[in-house]
Amino acid sequence: MNTPRLSHSAALILKALTLGYCFGLDIMEITGLPSGTVYPALRRLERDELVESKWEPEEEATAKQRPARRYYEVTQEGKIAALAATQRYPLLAHLVMEKR
Amino acid sequence: MSQIVISPLPFFDRNLLCAVEKLVPEAEREEWLRAWQAELWHVHHCGRHDRMQALAITTDLSIGLTRDAFWLRTENWRRTFSGTAILCLGSLAGLSLLCTLIALALTGGWQSLCLYLREPFYRCLIAAPLVLFVAFATASRRHIEQTVTNKRLFRMKRQLFFAVKISQVISLAFLLSVGFCFPLHTLFPITADLFQIFCFVLFALVGMRWALHDQEQRCKQCLHSLTKPARVGRPSHNLLEWNGTELICKQGHGLLSVPEMETSWCQSSHWVDLGTSWDTTIRI
Repeated sequence: MNTPRLSHSAALILKALTLGYCFGLDIMEITGLPSGTVYPALRRLERDELVESKWEPEEEATAKQRPARRYYEVTQEGKIAALAATQRYPLLAHLVMEKR
Repeated sequence: MSQIVISPLPFFDRNLLCAVEKLVPEAEREEWLRAWQAELWHVHHCGRHDRMQALAITTDLSIGLTRDAFWLRTENWRRTFSGTAILCLGSLAGLSLLCTLIALALTGGWQSLCLYLREPFYRCLIAAPLVLFVAFATASRRHIEQTVTNKRLFRMKRQLFFAVKISQVISLAFLLSVGFCFPLHTLFPITADLFQIFCFVLFALVGMRWALHDQEQRCKQCLHSLTKPARVGRPSHNLLEWNGTELICKQGHGLLSVPEMETSWCQSSHWVDLGTSWDTTIRI
């Protein structure tokens, strides 16, 4: 399978997702990228089937007295693409820390 | 879908969402609104940011949500118009308009443009039928027609599209040749006239080759560009069996088999109608 060539910002976002940052706002904060880059990039990654979006369970959000959020998960193809992107941009591994 | 409004969003955020949501295609609007309401709610209520930080993030998110809405709209347009006959004719019309505007800027006004275009127009009127004749005479592949329901209607639609397309290609070639040779015209008028007709013939021939190729690679029913080219057969078995490329209509109307080389048993591209039984497969 051909792994898609990602731009630096898309690769950074994908890397953040693989490290456990699953909300758009969290990705913005950890990568330092503006929202105008992060959200359209997430849409493109979703269109290319590298990530998939899901909604938090309604009950969980209700229990915490907040609205349910949309979160993103990396697909199998996305994991392969993230690996290829890390090889292409070696500094990427040092730019984002794993979520604790 | 339950909407939890524990505490409402600030006035600015609500109005911004109201204004921008109109950009989002209707089918995706509700989900978009829900996602952004939740994101904005978290900026204001998660307690991680002070007032100034929240304001800065909200400003940034305003750009993000607007770009997100724009992306959804353009993606919707891309999905709707990609490969359609409308996009093809629209692009050609747009290019013609651009060439006219450039010619207008070069000549300095409508009156001088009309005056300048008159002679090249008459020359091109004579050259155009010759170009069409050469283009059709040298076109290599013709289709073997298959039985299509409402065949006459589809054929008329195809021919109308082709007629509009070639007339746009010819007029674009004319405008391009005129614009291309205008700077030369003030210095060497006779050379410029000769060069203009040469350019016209060249551009028109290239354009016609493209128009014929594009027409061949379109669905016979919906006129969408055919996609997903797939190699079929092996070139080493060419004397024993068919080999070439197959292209398919995204809407599932049919597929086009283009032979790698012309043989006595497979001389030209072949259009195969796909029945309704293929609909599910195409959708997958």
